[in-house]
Amino acid sequence: MATAERVVVERATKLYNAGTLNVFSELGLSVRDRETVCVLGPSGCGKTTLLRAMHGLLSLDGGRILIDGTPVRGPRRNVAMVFQHFGLMPWKRVRANVAYGLELAGAAQPTIAERVRRYIDLVGLVGFERAFPHELSGGMQQRVGLARALAMEPDILLMDEPFGSLDAQTREIMQDELLRIYQQDPRTMVFITHSIEEAIALGDRIVVLTARPARVRETLVVDIPRPRTVAGVIAHPRFLELRDHCWRLLRERVAA
Amino acid sequence: MTVREAPSPTAALAPRRARVRRLRLGDWGVRLGSIAVVLLIWEFVAPRFNPLIIRSPSAIFRAFLELVGTGELQDALGQSLRELFAGLAIAIVAGVLIGIASGRWRFVYNALDPWVSALYSVPSVALVPLIAVAFRSLGDPPRIATVALFAVFPILINTQQAVRNLDRSLLEVARAFNTSERRLWTDLIVPSAVPFILAGVRLGIGRGLIGMIVAEFFVGLVGMGYLIVAYENVFRIDRMFVPVIIVAAMGIILMGFVQWLEGRVAPWLRREQ
Repeated sequence: MATAERVVVERATKLYNAGTLNVFSELGLSVRDRETVCVLGPSGCGKTTLLRAMHGLLSLDGGRILIDGTPVRGPRRNVAMVFQHFGLMPWKRVRANVAYGLELAGAAQPTIAERVRRYIDLVGLVGFERAFPHELSGGMQQRVGLARALAMEPDILLMDEPFGSLDAQTREIMQDELLRIYQQDPRTMVFITHSIEEAIALGDRIVVLTARPARVRETLVVDIPRPRTVAGVIAHPRFLELRDHCWRLLRERVAA
Repeated sequence: MTVREAPSPTAALAPRRARVRRLRLGDWGVRLGSIAVVLLIWEFVAPRFNPLIIRSPSAIFRAFLELVGTGELQDALGQSLRELFAGLAIAIVAGVLIGIASGRWRFVYNALDPWVSALYSVPSVALVPLIAVAFRSLGDPPRIATVALFAVFPILINTQQAVRNLDRSLLEVARAFNTSERRLWTDLIVPSAVPFILAGVRLGIGRGLIGMIVAEFFVGLVGMGYLIVAYENVFRIDRMFVPVIIVAAMGIILMGFVQWLEGRVAPWLRREQ
């Protein structure tokens, strides 16, 4: 199973505004088991739309998306999503927010209790179980969002610019946390970002998209060995080459 | 597993809570101070005017003791509270149910919206005689209906707006985690509407109190409304002011209670305020 393809996007096309606005067209990519693929592209190029289509939250106008070999029609139990806007329920305490997905999935109470405890610990939120989201900083709120997704123990994690709204320092801490969590328990992950550094630090491969209508410009392999830390990746000799390469690909689009 | 630094929970939470509490204490000081200042000025100014127009707070307080002594006030208050609570209960149930239904389903919204707008715009006072006729009675039911009519609109409209303006990003989260329609209500729709409903109830209490007095003027002449009319007619301004002030105090107490309830039922709102 090690190299099996978990997510396959085939010639995906999405139109908006009654078909006049082509968000992405004929887009294709695939994600292998336990691989992190970062989708890198300029703002508004449809990265987030693509991720939502992968979860079946919206439908395509052409092409198809397969997860584990079958077409996606709606959210699946073995796929979990982390949102840029965190998406926490303000009226639920940390514990209830983390338990949310498990409860909806109909998990047994002891399972929920055990998983919630484990993943709150994993993301470093022990002691905050009874806090409300507004009592937490942005970084801590996203830890809750991450724990909520991880508690589902999904095969596939869909990350929608999860650290995009955090300040630079918090973002790096969260990237390190994610690398650490991956090291403990690797899962298949699709990670949307517009930060080149983030894509290199987290990704096994980077899919660079063009501007609208988005297509795959190039797919890069990040040949920096794991276990990684953000500082370690930046210090790695390959980092500058990869970053310059990504820069060139993204700049081409601007010039065009 | 690597050791990581976890921020101390107490350190992060304590300062916010403390700030909230200090603010509240100050709020109450200002409130009580404001009442005391107005009463003092009133006490000082009232004797300069004709006692048929205004009486001082101390004279009103003496009248209050007289009315309590005869038992008149207790009887009237019991009557009025009965109407008020029954009317508010109906207004809350009807307002929340209709508000949720019309907020969630377009058909219900379109069917009811013209009526809600029309009835909300018409001075409710004008409808009171109509209610008495409709009930063919001068008893409690038309008065309770009047309180309900006065109080229902802010509750209904607030609930409706809360449901209509449901946070779309949270709706997406719920869908992403495969919510059921039932869980959508308990996880999202109802909790996000609660603060708006309670704000509507607070407005409804004020209007309900007005409705209560108006109904007592027009339908049967009982309760606090009766006391106001009766003592005004015999120029006992000091006694007339007793029910007026008690109605005002009921407003303060009931709205304060709902505000307190807000903090209990919706503790996540206890931030910046």
